[in-house]
Amino acid sequence: MAFELGIYHFGELTPNPTTQQPPTPGVRLRELVEQARAADEAGLDVFAVGEHHRTDFAVSSPAVVLAAMAEHTSTIRLSSAVTVLSSDDPVRVFQQFATLDLLSGGRAEIIAGRGSYVESFPLFGYDLNDYAHLFAEKLDLLLRLREENPITWQGSLRSSLTQGDITPRPERELPVWVAVGGTPASVVRAGRLGLPLSLAIIGGSYRQFAPFVELYRATAAEAGHDPAKLKVSINSPGFVAPTHREAIEVSHPYFQAGWMANHHQRGQGVPMPKMAYEAQSTPAGAFFLGSPQEIIDKIMAQYELFQHDRMMIQLGFGDVPQKEMMQAIELLGSEVAPVVRREIAALKSTRSLAPAVEVTR
Amino acid sequence: MTAPLRVVAVVGSVRSPSKTTSLVELMLQTLASHTEIDSQLIELHALGPGFTDAAERDDIGGDVEKALRAVEEADLVIAATPVFRGSYTGLFKHFFDLVDQYALAAKPVMLAATGGSDRHALVIEHAMRPLFGFLQAWTAPAGVYLSSGDFDGTTILNPEVYERVEMAVADVVPVARALTTLRGASVG
Repeated sequence: MAFELGIYHFGELTPNPTTQQPPTPGVRLRELVEQARAADEAGLDVFAVGEHHRTDFAVSSPAVVLAAMAEHTSTIRLSSAVTVLSSDDPVRVFQQFATLDLLSGGRAEIIAGRGSYVESFPLFGYDLNDYAHLFAEKLDLLLRLREENPITWQGSLRSSLTQGDITPRPERELPVWVAVGGTPASVVRAGRLGLPLSLAIIGGSYRQFAPFVELYRATAAEAGHDPAKLKVSINSPGFVAPTHREAIEVSHPYFQAGWMANHHQRGQGVPMPKMAYEAQSTPAGAFFLGSPQEIIDKIMAQYELFQHDRMMIQLGFGDVPQKEMMQAIELLGSEVAPVVRREIAALKSTRSLAPAVEVTR
Repeated sequence: MTAPLRVVAVVGSVRSPSKTTSLVELMLQTLASHTEIDSQLIELHALGPGFTDAAERDDIGGDVEKALRAVEEADLVIAATPVFRGSYTGLFKHFFDLVDQYALAAKPVMLAATGGSDRHALVIEHAMRPLFGFLQAWTAPAGVYLSSGDFDGTTILNPEVYERVEMAVADVVPVARALTTLRGASVG
């Protein structure tokens, strides 16, 4: 499988740092569809949208947004990022993404997670005390739904299914990734189940995450899973522009506004000073922020460490203007993706005698 | 029109470049973004034998005396050290042994430290704060501790560090300003 490069967006409605006005949800959603179209044309591999349930985000139902994108795109994979599975019904999630998969000609994917924002739990009548159990049980049901129909299933947090007929059926196995932030137990879960791992690295030194990827591969190997299915995706914020300086200058005010809106301490937003943002753009920092060449270099450096299969960039967090977003998407597709695909393919072929997945025990 | 806040940072590292110095530079930059400052950074290892050979204040001369005076006359002190053998460095303690015993009384002091792992994070509370408690300094409530994982070389990568510094600085600036004004009024 060729190395994949994608974009994800949470559809945040961050007030513009100059006007203090947030985009309307309608404007944001149409911008997202337009970005997906551009990403498809630029030859990127995945476009993913997050799920939040509060007024400062436009996307609460990823499948609906992705369905709109499906109509304007032809080859790009369309994914949630993430589906908050803990507070949703796996049957409904499966039906929606199966529908999306059929509509898009087999391009739907689910990245399932426990949710880092918790508004959806009371909204849909779930108890946060069941946080861990909810995810485990619902993930179990979602995976079973992929395999059998009709289905008979029993759990403790959702009503049982007896010969439940879950339709429509997708024409292939719907990909389900497990989203992980920084919890080893989540890594172990993904490894035990043999599900692809979607690892978010949203700051600091990315090297610190190497043990997570090792733990994932070791756990999966121990559980006897097919190494070919053990894909790893690394997901980090970033922005691309023709030059390093431009990438920082254009995106920082918006990133900082988004960071302030979503990151609180003592009841107040915390700023992301420009020097902190710059630090994230250095070779060891987690953000994919800079010129196309810098993005290429960082992906290659991370590949040396993680041997991952997919890189997803949360592009232009905040309210970066659509014009600059389109340019960034174009740069990723035309200048970054072909180079990293070629370089990584070359690395893989020279290493073909060595195992593709090295497990350190 | 208020005068710049005189900020003196003391770094207890035994060499340069130093992660601790890098942290202190970030603290100074952040302070400068909040208020006008006149800053001085003292790397103790650079003071040399004139400092390390001195057993008592009377043995001190020249640049070392200037460094001690700068701290004694500062409006705000940043005291920073790497963790050595579970505590501040010998250089760091030696310097504050030579500072006049009451010069830091009621003076705002920000505490900062760097260490090899998070296991040393309480060095600020267990080693530094008692020392400055003895000196009756006005230690800032939020100390700043960084472990090696927060760095790439001497570049600070962890975004939470910038937030922590921002918060610590935001807390201390009004206090330093108020105390400086009060002190000026009582002298003048």
